[in-house]
Amino acid sequence: MLAYFIEAARVLLANRTRSILTIIGLVVGVATIVSVQVAAQGMAGAVSGIFKGTNANTFFVFPKSTQGNVVRAALKLSDLALVQERVPGVVSVIPFSRRQTVVDAGHQRVRLRFGGESDKRFSTSPLAAGRTLNADDIATAAAVCVISDNAYTRLFPGASSPQDVVGSSIYVGSKRYVIAGVLGKTKIDTAALGFDVSNDVAIPYTTFYNTYQRGSSFFGISVLAAQGADLKSLETQTQALLTQVHGAQYQYFDFGFFAKTINGFFSIVGLIVGAVGAISLVVAGIGIMNIMLVSVTERTREIGVRKAIGARSSQVLLQFFIESLLLSAFGCLTGMLIGVGLGVIVNKGFIAKISGVTGGIPWLEVIAIAVGFATLVTLVFGTYPAYRAAKLDPIEALRYE
Amino acid sequence: MNRADNVIDVQGVTKTYASGALQVEALRGLTFTIARGEYVAIMGPSGSGKSTLMNVLGCLDRATTGTYKLDGIDVSQLDDNQLAEIRLKKLGFVFQGFNLLARTDALRNVALPLFYAGMPGKERERLALERLTEVGIGDRARHKPTELSGGEQQRVAIARALVNDPAVLLADEPTGNLDSKTSGEILALFDGLSSGGRTVIVVTHDEGVASRARRILRMLDGVIISDTPT
Repeated sequence: MLAYFIEAARVLLANRTRSILTIIGLVVGVATIVSVQVAAQGMAGAVSGIFKGTNANTFFVFPKSTQGNVVRAALKLSDLALVQERVPGVVSVIPFSRRQTVVDAGHQRVRLRFGGESDKRFSTSPLAAGRTLNADDIATAAAVCVISDNAYTRLFPGASSPQDVVGSSIYVGSKRYVIAGVLGKTKIDTAALGFDVSNDVAIPYTTFYNTYQRGSSFFGISVLAAQGADLKSLETQTQALLTQVHGAQYQYFDFGFFAKTINGFFSIVGLIVGAVGAISLVVAGIGIMNIMLVSVTERTREIGVRKAIGARSSQVLLQFFIESLLLSAFGCLTGMLIGVGLGVIVNKGFIAKISGVTGGIPWLEVIAIAVGFATLVTLVFGTYPAYRAAKLDPIEALRYE
Repeated sequence: MNRADNVIDVQGVTKTYASGALQVEALRGLTFTIARGEYVAIMGPSGSGKSTLMNVLGCLDRATTGTYKLDGIDVSQLDDNQLAEIRLKKLGFVFQGFNLLARTDALRNVALPLFYAGMPGKERERLALERLTEVGIGDRARHKPTELSGGEQQRVAIARALVNDPAVLLADEPTGNLDSKTSGEILALFDGLSSGGRTVIVVTHDEGVASRARRILRMLDGVIISDTPT
């Protein structure tokens, strides 16, 4: 059997240019499908990585925009305590408060994400220096803040360590905040993806409320659930409670939902590209069949000679079949490697730059795609030419010019 | 000479082709035997049926009626695969146009029948080289057909025909594409094979070639019109 592979490889190598031209379609088709597969895996890895950066037990509740009485639906400070008391499993409830604002650190003025947070941490970024917000800060509505690594590097480009800036002041408008702590590097800059789950400058939500939200209703609430709590159940309970109290309608949202949406989007992209790739593979397969048929015709005399000296029809069939197999296997392998290469470039060059997370290469799927297509193309498009070769009459074939 | 020594035993063989509505009788009842070690020429003009006879003798085609025993085996009723097996083991072909595989060196051309016989690669090449040396071009083993002269190509083809140690060597106009000097060399090679005990059948319309054989079967219109020693 091995001898047949060697023999087939010799024939294909003897016709190198033609062999390469034959498989180009297959290479392109497989490379397309594989690269999308690898990129989709990278994206999925990035998405799950992003949500590792935030507390997965967080959800948001806000009034539905499609209702008549928005005033009645408006959330107020009293709702915070209400939800925390009446919905078991809720650890902390704070107003949804985030704005882009100019922060002044003396020498540097930078636009940053600024918002109120609780002493119960919604973010999972590590602490680099100082402390996080504590219960006292919340209770007294202290003028303190915790800044992110992003804020630290942009506000204090000259600082040698985060420890140096703890205790110094920054200004938002005319209001001064003392830096209580600096958070470490988050690998993931979620803002680049069009949504953010963390603040660059976080002050106690009570301070934020007193300074910027007093007298007005706020857009929504952020809820932190206890570890292991059933998020879905808390979401519906909170929704029901607010509906009951306000007589208005609310909707909720969490990152799991967001992740699902993103992954759903990429699996649809994957399907579409897969379908296009599959069509290109059919075209490539027909190309291989065409070349193999030409090859059978061209080599009619050779087939006649082989049969005359004693090759059985089944041996001729096998020989041509293996030539098709080698062609498509080589094409699919090359396509797979190119596809993985392209996928990795997309992952490293784009997705990881945005998300900070590099997804793994789904070798199992990728190899399955390559092997699957090689087998399919050979079986569907290699059989007929091989059959044509095998059933040639040796006398006719020897006479063929 | 007893019958068991007949390597070819043809009894009442006919071959009829359907050519459209027309029935063409290419062979009209041939009966003859060829003993082991004989050197026989089959002659006849175009359309005499000599090519058809060659195909039947070479197990490329089956007789319509009659029996044909090759080396004691009745091959008249064998199926395609069995015929392939017979061709592989009992017959060696030499063609007018050499019919070597292009882009394949002499050694591998000669080894090809052994490949189909399932012999391991090393053994194949050793035997092939032996045969090439026997026909006088062992030193050209790694040359491709395009790098060989016509005479050398035909020697390669003869080496290939002999590599399976066949019962019968069948040659169809073996000198048809060669100049007279090279033809002489090839015919000398056949003489040598014959005197070495090999059964050789040459199909030709060249009297000069036929005269080298020791017996000439002349055909016309599908029958043997004469069977004479030279």
